[in-house]
Amino acid sequence: MNTRNLLTIVFWSLLYVVLQVLLLRNLVLFHYGFCFVYVATILLLPFDVGAVVLLLLGFGVGFAVDIFYNTPGMHAAATVLMAYLRPLTLRLLTPQRGYEERNEPLIGEMGLGWFLTYISFMVFLHHAVVFFIEASNWNLWLPTLGKVLVSTLFTTTVITLLHYFRKS
Amino acid sequence: MDQLFVFIARQRAFIFFVALEVLSLWCFFKYNNYPSAVYFNTANYYAGQLLQWQASATQYMNLRAVNSGLAGENARLHGQLAQLQNQQLLGINYKADSAVASRFQTLVAKVINNTVDQRNNFLTIDKGTADGMQPGMGVISATGVVGKIKTCSQHFSVLTSVLHSENMVSSKIRRNGEIASARWEGVNPDEISLLYLSRYKSVKLGDTVVTSDLNSVFPGGVPVGYVQRLKPSTDGAFWDIKLRLATDFPNLAYVYVVNNRLKTEQERLEAEAKK
Repeated sequence: MNTRNLLTIVFWSLLYVVLQVLLLRNLVLFHYGFCFVYVATILLLPFDVGAVVLLLLGFGVGFAVDIFYNTPGMHAAATVLMAYLRPLTLRLLTPQRGYEERNEPLIGEMGLGWFLTYISFMVFLHHAVVFFIEASNWNLWLPTLGKVLVSTLFTTTVITLLHYFRKS
Repeated sequence: MDQLFVFIARQRAFIFFVALEVLSLWCFFKYNNYPSAVYFNTANYYAGQLLQWQASATQYMNLRAVNSGLAGENARLHGQLAQLQNQQLLGINYKADSAVASRFQTLVAKVINNTVDQRNNFLTIDKGTADGMQPGMGVISATGVVGKIKTCSQHFSVLTSVLHSENMVSSKIRRNGEIASARWEGVNPDEISLLYLSRYKSVKLGDTVVTSDLNSVFPGGVPVGYVQRLKPSTDGAFWDIKLRLATDFPNLAYVYVVNNRLKTEQERLEAEAKK
């Protein structure tokens, strides 16, 4: 990883979080579709980032978002779980030729099909944790599940579209 | 001993994972019990500044709704004024002590952060302890109840909105004074439930429900909502009532913080009586 790469990553990570806090926090579709684009900060890190670093970054980013949602710990918990399961998910989704000459989970390197599978699975996991912790109540499971599914679709779409602005 | 260190080194990701999860969940589930925790929410100075800046950039978007709310409030106040001027105190010889009659003071604040789609919703306003805000004060809007202050920093306060699972508003039906409690069910931000009204009490579609005089947070008579759906509950003992909320939460811009100057006196007296 050279300096130029590192700068790109830092710039985009900040952009995702700022976008989340200033714009997407107020954009909810029909009271059901939430967009938590900030998870892309963790999801799009290069493959060789260590597990502990992933966890700490996940906690930091999640908690920063939590402060603005007045839910201290909720997004942090979901993002930490997602960060912990990222290496396992990557192992499950190993392409035929392995990860050898590839560095980052981006469309240009991995292809669109792989990218969508990876992003939507991780986002679904994260959103399920967020909305079920938030509901804290099994009686609301149906509207909660609806929120999870609609929001997963929304977040995945936004992450994929934004990704095309990102030069790898 | 060596093996222990080897084990820890190998499992360090898992150990970090468990520790961070416990920390996060502990924060989340303890949050509601710590009214003084002002650092990890939007009462935080830096978060508040950022939100204030954002609110000033977007405040023109909902001017139309804000204006119509204020015009409606003016009309209502004119009506009440005319009524008070013509009122003859019939029958009961009751005159409130001036300290009691003027116990509610209001202060205008601007909403700089507001959610309606979470399970528990909060608002942030741009007034804090420097302007005399204190946890526990009630907040109302031009059209109805809004919520209760939860935490204050020097310049900002966070309130639990009526759209919060733990907020109960003691209410009454304006037409006949029947007492009930209003609580949000957590799904639709335009609708609130009215609980514990006996099946044998009278209630009609379109009835106005206002805050009762039996609470020390809100003044009596502030609109909570209007009855829009009505059916007997499944066990037959109560009414199952849904109200359309009086406050237009998605377009909230300015609110009034209500300070009950005799609240501590009332609560202290009630606590003493219970001993």
